[in-house]
Amino acid sequence: MIKTIGTACMMLILATVLVSVGCKGKKKAADDDKTDGTAKPQYASKGDEGTITGKIAYDGAPSTPKKIDMSQDGNCAAAPGDKSADDLLVADGKLANVFVYVKGGPTDKFSFPPPSDPVVLDQKGCRYQPRVLGIQTNQILKVTNSDNTTHNIHPSPKTNQEWNQMQAQGAPPIEKKFGRPETLIPVKCNQHPWMKANVGVLAHPYFAVSGKDGSYTIKTVPPGTYTLVFWHETKGEQTQQVTIAAKESKTQDITYKAGAIARATSLQIGPALVLP
Amino acid sequence: MADTTQSEQLEKRAPETPEIDPIADQSMSGALLISSLLLIVTLLWSLYDEVIGERPWKSYQKNFVDSYSSYLETAKKRQKNLEKEVKSSPEYQELDQAYKDASAAAKELTDPIDAQVRKVDTRINELTGPFQDARSWIVAKTYELEVAGSESSRKSIRDAIEKKKQEKIDVKITGDNGLEEEKSLTFPELEAVYNSLRDEKARLLAERVQITQPIEGARKKREVYLQDHLFGLTEEQVAKLEEKANTFKFEIKQINAGGVVIDRCESCHLGIREPITITKADMLRASKESADDDPSLDEAEAAAFVSHPNRDLLKTHDPDRFGCSTCHGGNGRGTTSVDKGHGRYKHWLWPLYYKENMEAGCNQCHNRDRVLQGAAVLNRGKELFQVRGCAGCHRYEAFDREADALSNARQSIKTLELQRDERKREIAQTGAAADAASTDEEAAQLRKKAEALRQMISQVDARIDEFDTQAKYLMQDVKKIGPNLKEIKAKLRKDWIPVWLSDPQAFRPGTKMPTFRLEDDEIKAVSAFLWQAALDVKPPTQAQGDAAHGKELFKTLGCLGCHSINGQAIDMGNQVIGGDFAANLSRVGEKANYDYIVRWVHNPRQRLAPYSPTLKRDLTPADYKQKNLPFVFDDDHSKSPVDGRELQIQNMTVMPNFRLSDQDARDIATFLAAQKRPGVDYKSASYLDDASLKSQGEQLVRRYGCAACHEIKGMEDEQRIGTELTLEGSKPIERLDFALLQQPAMQGREPMTGEKIEREGREGWYDHKGFFENKLRSPGIYDRGKVKTPEERLRMPNIYLPESDVTALTTFLLGSVETSLPESMRYNAAGGKKAVQDGWWVVQKYNCMGCHNVLVGQDSILMGLPMYQSADGKEQLPPRLTSEGARVNPDWLLRFLKDPSQATPAERTSLAQAVSGHAQAGGDEWAESLKLHAQPGANHNGVRRYLKARMPTFNFSPNELQALVNFFMGASSQAQPYIPERLDPLATDEQGMARALFSSNAAPCLKCHMTGDPAHDARATAPNFLLAPERLKPAWTRRWLLDPQLISPGTSMPSELFKRDSGHDRWVFNGPTPPSFQTYEKDHVDLLVRYMFQISPDEQRRLGTGGGGAAPSSAPAPAAAGNKTAIVERKTRRPSLRGPIAAIRAP
Repeated sequence: MIKTIGTACMMLILATVLVSVGCKGKKKAADDDKTDGTAKPQYASKGDEGTITGKIAYDGAPSTPKKIDMSQDGNCAAAPGDKSADDLLVADGKLANVFVYVKGGPTDKFSFPPPSDPVVLDQKGCRYQPRVLGIQTNQILKVTNSDNTTHNIHPSPKTNQEWNQMQAQGAPPIEKKFGRPETLIPVKCNQHPWMKANVGVLAHPYFAVSGKDGSYTIKTVPPGTYTLVFWHETKGEQTQQVTIAAKESKTQDITYKAGAIARATSLQIGPALVLP
Repeated sequence: MADTTQSEQLEKRAPETPEIDPIADQSMSGALLISSLLLIVTLLWSLYDEVIGERPWKSYQKNFVDSYSSYLETAKKRQKNLEKEVKSSPEYQELDQAYKDASAAAKELTDPIDAQVRKVDTRINELTGPFQDARSWIVAKTYELEVAGSESSRKSIRDAIEKKKQEKIDVKITGDNGLEEEKSLTFPELEAVYNSLRDEKARLLAERVQITQPIEGARKKREVYLQDHLFGLTEEQVAKLEEKANTFKFEIKQINAGGVVIDRCESCHLGIREPITITKADMLRASKESADDDPSLDEAEAAAFVSHPNRDLLKTHDPDRFGCSTCHGGNGRGTTSVDKGHGRYKHWLWPLYYKENMEAGCNQCHNRDRVLQGAAVLNRGKELFQVRGCAGCHRYEAFDREADALSNARQSIKTLELQRDERKREIAQTGAAADAASTDEEAAQLRKKAEALRQMISQVDARIDEFDTQAKYLMQDVKKIGPNLKEIKAKLRKDWIPVWLSDPQAFRPGTKMPTFRLEDDEIKAVSAFLWQAALDVKPPTQAQGDAAHGKELFKTLGCLGCHSINGQAIDMGNQVIGGDFAANLSRVGEKANYDYIVRWVHNPRQRLAPYSPTLKRDLTPADYKQKNLPFVFDDDHSKSPVDGRELQIQNMTVMPNFRLSDQDARDIATFLAAQKRPGVDYKSASYLDDASLKSQGEQLVRRYGCAACHEIKGMEDEQRIGTELTLEGSKPIERLDFALLQQPAMQGREPMTGEKIEREGREGWYDHKGFFENKLRSPGIYDRGKVKTPEERLRMPNIYLPESDVTALTTFLLGSVETSLPESMRYNAAGGKKAVQDGWWVVQKYNCMGCHNVLVGQDSILMGLPMYQSADGKEQLPPRLTSEGARVNPDWLLRFLKDPSQATPAERTSLAQAVSGHAQAGGDEWAESLKLHAQPGANHNGVRRYLKARMPTFNFSPNELQALVNFFMGASSQAQPYIPERLDPLATDEQGMARALFSSNAAPCLKCHMTGDPAHDARATAPNFLLAPERLKPAWTRRWLLDPQLISPGTSMPSELFKRDSGHDRWVFNGPTPPSFQTYEKDHVDLLVRYMFQISPDEQRRLGTGGGGAAPSSAPAPAAAGNKTAIVERKTRRPSLRGPIAAIRAP
């Protein structure tokens, strides 16, 4: 009798063990081709894009631009072209070289492949031309040297890779990319300290730089609500809210005041140590 | 009678009924049932324990294997796709093709060789048998010959061998046609054939290796490409891991590190060392996806399976050698429950460190490291211990070591002096004994002894001298955290002192000065004592300066690397900005006198009066007058006029001398003096002059150990008043006095409110961590509820640390343990590493990292300031020092650190004379000596004169200079001594070529590098080439030219100056070169380095006027000028760069 109970117990235990061992099968992972879910879908045009256009006014009399002393490099001094400072270009009360771009809205939801055409930054007359330019992430920036002297191109980004490369006269163009949106990356030539450029890197193509007449146009903007950012090298940053309906063309003008420097809202300022 | 009884007894003994046999007659089934049931229960119990109870790790292992396999499966797919992507790239395809081509090409050549080798092998095999047989026979016979006894037997053996050698041996050899050939050969012939066959084979194989080399190269290239482009493991590697997981052995996983550490942590923490990265989220996801496991992993389990967060750490601390509990604490052998394993139970002395204190574990082996890479919390703890002045009251080995060394040196001098007197007496006695000696021999012996004793005296004298020198150096090195209170009468506004003492945090939030729990009358007494104990002398009145210029200097000189200030004061927002190493100067104008600030910023090391440690008092002009000496005390006049011993001639502050001109000092002081709230007025504190308060104040100052951080008259030799903390972490818990808070601590009640603390994974705070944290948060806490007189109360003042700093200090204290680990497991730095270890103490002491990037990945304070963010601002940052040891000649570095202005000896001498003359001018000598003196190297840097930030003079002692040089050399793995390599002199044509390149448009070196022309140098961004030969190392210079961004990211020096000319295996200039270069076939980098190392001032002038390079312009600095010129203009003296530099004493 006892023996039977004992045997039964042993059998039971054995069975349990066997069952538990037997249960070791594995379920296939539910969805094999699951992607990370971080990649945004590529934007597909619906043909209902609108346009943002406008003029940037400058309220006040700009001081006459100073002449840049290029005497430290004879080749720069001898080069033809304007030698006056171009950090603040005002003509007829209109401000040039303002970088205008949209933020938020559909630009956050889609990805935009970079155009295959490069953006060209030329060094001519020992100046960067243009002084302010926009580029998409991973679009090629082609830096050329039209001067009869050696330059070095030194962008100092915060979140992109920094580089500093020499380009002698007649050297082939330097081609580089920026992998991450960043507004804006200052570029300088260490040998000619007056040479400054600013590169706005965006993940989408909806940006423009105001021309000499202060006007800008951002084309084929997908309908949606955006923050429109105006950025000027010395006069700071201003923003506007803008909603673009299907096929709508909107005019967004803005004015920079002569005396004031607009508070930067998205400008990255280095972290200062804050004490308790 | 007796018989009867016996028979009766026998009768009685006969049983009436047979006794019941307990075995045969009683049923045991009940008992048996019960015991077998018990047995089964125990069996079940033991089985339960086996699987679950005592071996909880088994279920961990099962869960791990399930989720891990499932995770690996997903990972494999991911990697497979990635790999496919990489392999389909054209670059990879090309490499793959190259490999295949190489293999195919080689195959044509290797096939015949392989065939040849096979043939040779066959022949060797055929010959081996007969050849070895014959050889063995001969060898055996030769042995017989060697041991044979008689000459005759020897002869017969010799003959036998000879005969054997002449015998023909029949062998079969396969010929080239593949047919076997029979041959008869003598042994020597056979040997020759055999050896030649073997040589042939070796030759063939070598040839084959030659041919296959390109395949290997191509294969490697392909592999490297795959490695470079594939993130993580390859599919194959993941598959191997999967296989390993599938054949997992369920058992205790144990590390036995030499019997010292036995850890079974990996029985549950199974993912720790897996080569693939496992996160908690990975495991949770994988567990959901795998089938049989319901319920799937819980969070805690998933967290236990992750891989070690710092793989690099495991590389240097191989778990097989160090185990886990060595660093983490816990009971490594415990496997029965999580709490047991983690050692979180009563009586276990080394519980697992909580996550925030994890780095405490580093300290038991790295206690000698002031800075330990990767242990930021521990480093912060050590920094606080030093910077907050903890070491002033609490002895801690290696902290404040100069003070200890100094008292040792002084003690040694005293002992040696006694020894010398002793010897003198002995000599006299020995001499007398010699005179009275009975024999000449004995007399001669005694004379000899006396002579030896005299020589020993000279040795003792030498040691005293050395200790005296060391004492001098140490006096230079020993620092106090707080200011010198002997000078407060000259420095402070009287009414401010009691306000400050009552609540330093209110006046200056975040200050190092702690708050002592004093009553109002006690504060009065302390203030009165300090005031009355101060030196009664006023520095001369200074004219007001230009505050705007002072502000500019304050912003640009580098003051903010250590000091902070309200951003509004320097037009930079309204937050406090700057470093927290030194005081926040936002309200300095409310407390300090202008005249004193001028002196202080001009040269903070200059005291009002020198202190004599031997006389134990401050010397006055009267002391000097007695010896007819001027009242001058500085580096060159550091001996006491009274007893010739070394004086304390410096203020014991780490604040360096910025070599300011008098005017700049006034400008900065004017700016600082204006830093006050408008209309601030303090209540009059006339009681500071009340002599009756002095003795009470003195008592209090002594009791609270104020002299730990401050110099106070009469308390220069005070001992530390706190507990030694070197081994505080291993103090038994019973010896930590929780006082009345022991119960609340055990019950886990908040010490302040008595409320129950709800905290995950931790019950109560009756442990070291709890004691330290609460003590640091509120140092008086363990007085709570106690009845004590004021004298008995805890003296440690309130230090107001943010919670992160409490954690840092707690971590440091928890790690302050007596280690039981063998010396072989501890970190014993040697050579360069030792130099780095020692050097960190100096680097941190003077806060070099406030301005410099010393450690790769470390940002200086200046690098974070707003003015250094722009592209132009970055050019103004002090140099990175991460490769300093590889960059500079150590001899030069020593001279530079001694005097960063690189002032010429002539300049020094003339200034020193001026100082002496000044002091002798008559009048009130004391007041006269307190005037500002011109300083050598005033207002300029020694190397980078274009930087507005100035490398100040730290007055390092030779000991610290050497420690710093060794630090930089060690940190860059540079051996010492350094003997500069001799560079090939330039040939005349090379000289011309290099000059042409240097002055051509294409290589505008002199546009940015200094030339000695002040107008040019003001806008330069790189040092003068004339410094190169004595400053730089050629190997570094070469690397710098090739890729400066690699050495100093963000530097103004552009990359891509050279391109590879693989045809000539050299680097050539990446731009148009002068025509002379066309026939030059050597390396261009080499040429330029050699040229740079021999540029003379003449050559430099020639360059300047040579071409379109840097024409020295007399025009004022362009665009970049503006407000900056103001600073530049004051640099009037023409730099002299080549002058010999005063040799300094190197220990």
